[in-house]
Amino acid sequence: MKRFSRRRLIAGAMFGGLLAGMTPRIGRTAEAAAVSDSLPWHNWSGGQSAQPTGRFAPETEQQLIDFLGRDSGPLRPVGSGHSFSGLVPTDGHLVVLDRLTGLRSHDPTTLEATLGAGIRLAETGPVLEGVGQGMFNLPDIDRQTLAGAISTATHGTGQSLNTLSAYVTALRLVTPAGQVLELDAAREPSLFAAAQVSLGALGFITEVRMRNRATYRLKRRNWIAPTEDVLKDFEAQARAHQHFEMFPLTHSEYASVQVIDDTDEPIYNPQPPPDQSDAFDELMRSLVSVPPAARRPIIDAAVAATPPAEPVVDVSYRILANVRNYRFNEMEYSVPLDAGAPCLREILRTIDEQQIDVVFPLEYRYVAGDDLWLSMFSGEPRASISVHHDARFDYRPYFDIVEPIFWKYGGRPHWGKLHTLKYAQLVKLYPKLKDFLEMREALDPTGRMLNPHLRALFGIAT
Amino acid sequence: MRIRVFGSITFLSAALFGCGEGDPKTTAAPLAQPFADAKISSLGKQRWARTCAMCHVRGEGGAPKIGDAGAWSTRLAQGETLILEHTVNGFGNMPPLGYCMDCEREDLRAYIAFMAYGEGA
Repeated sequence: MKRFSRRRLIAGAMFGGLLAGMTPRIGRTAEAAAVSDSLPWHNWSGGQSAQPTGRFAPETEQQLIDFLGRDSGPLRPVGSGHSFSGLVPTDGHLVVLDRLTGLRSHDPTTLEATLGAGIRLAETGPVLEGVGQGMFNLPDIDRQTLAGAISTATHGTGQSLNTLSAYVTALRLVTPAGQVLELDAAREPSLFAAAQVSLGALGFITEVRMRNRATYRLKRRNWIAPTEDVLKDFEAQARAHQHFEMFPLTHSEYASVQVIDDTDEPIYNPQPPPDQSDAFDELMRSLVSVPPAARRPIIDAAVAATPPAEPVVDVSYRILANVRNYRFNEMEYSVPLDAGAPCLREILRTIDEQQIDVVFPLEYRYVAGDDLWLSMFSGEPRASISVHHDARFDYRPYFDIVEPIFWKYGGRPHWGKLHTLKYAQLVKLYPKLKDFLEMREALDPTGRMLNPHLRALFGIAT
Repeated sequence: MRIRVFGSITFLSAALFGCGEGDPKTTAAPLAQPFADAKISSLGKQRWARTCAMCHVRGEGGAPKIGDAGAWSTRLAQGETLILEHTVNGFGNMPPLGYCMDCEREDLRAYIAFMAYGEGA
């Protein structure tokens, strides 16, 4: 097979011939998959909205190819709508990958599994367990589709654990022109590195091969501790445990700490009633009506009296992800490891000093470095810091104050989370962004897959 | 009392109503039997299982469970228009479209009917 180098890709003259040689052009036959006048679309938090011309939900890759041949308007892929940023909104067609799901194949020797890209992360656990495998890591929320998660460099926690994108060993990408690219590090290293975190700007990912582990169990422990104590020992703890993270409470001296490690212990994971609301919940709910400056003694007294949670043991996917019913908006940046603690301290201090009315905890964790072009952990392990705000309220006053603190410490934004950076800033944070954009231009020369948010990120005028 | 440290503190408990729609408010004229004409297909059941079911089987955070006539009756009393508006646009902790990104109005009507009445209204 011909090599699909960036240089050759950019040479427009070769484009059609090479791609055509890789995958025969498919005819434009009609099929039965759904194309319809559409309901409005909103993301999970309700912060992003669109009125698409229609939704197209292919059940097969062929249906997608046929659709791309028929339609010439703007397109955006959508997974489960869990990105907080404006990656999805379009007045063209939403291409819903949800039906491209399931386990396609697996290899018990290499512990790799090929999955339909529209499978939800929550579905991957049982599916992979059925073939003796488990993902190395999962994010805190697992309702995203696999395609959406890898396209935004979604990650979990762990200084030795990568983003989900870095565990991708191959993928199938259908370009806006309807051609199929089979990508992996051996055949197309540059395009593969770009496609592993692509913001849905290169085409539609239909199939993903993941490198996994043999099925394993994890033990999770949670407790409350003074934020400063946890922070001082964070590096050692992050090295000592597979997953070590904390959730600093706002207007408080305390943080919730979470540690997860491998275990052979028997499964013990009692499930609380899904609508359980305990005394602490009630207390925290009541704080919404308390002025921020008056919250600290109330919160600190309550958490100081809170005993550690009972440790739980279960198969990995039942431990790593959590059900988050309460809708919120989120901003997340990664900063160099040595900037993590000072950045977090400044954010917490600012929330206090400016009496920002927020009751959501932050999240602080380390993630391993990788070599993916648009990964927020590209080149080095970094500390990830997230801030959240109740989706019922305007997040901007809070996030507008916090975001410049991230910039001060060299922060790179999470593509799926809220941020205000544009091309001029991003190109300094992501040295490979220009290379990525050359790939994008070659694969989507008419900009069908661009929307206003992506144009701003990429510095492309309308 | 067992205190869920992580669950409680992390997402601030505040109104932990889960995927539920929040407090039902009867602001529209109730219909005799809303959604009664909507029928779920076999494909629809598969899609329901991958979307609505994530919250409406266990009743995450107060979402009305499938087959829980009492819980559904308070929602149905709101009338189709308001229920659909909440479903499409999200309401409380009910995510927009109930995670079904390719659902259209008739799909949502069928899934609501399936959860409220079973397969036959």
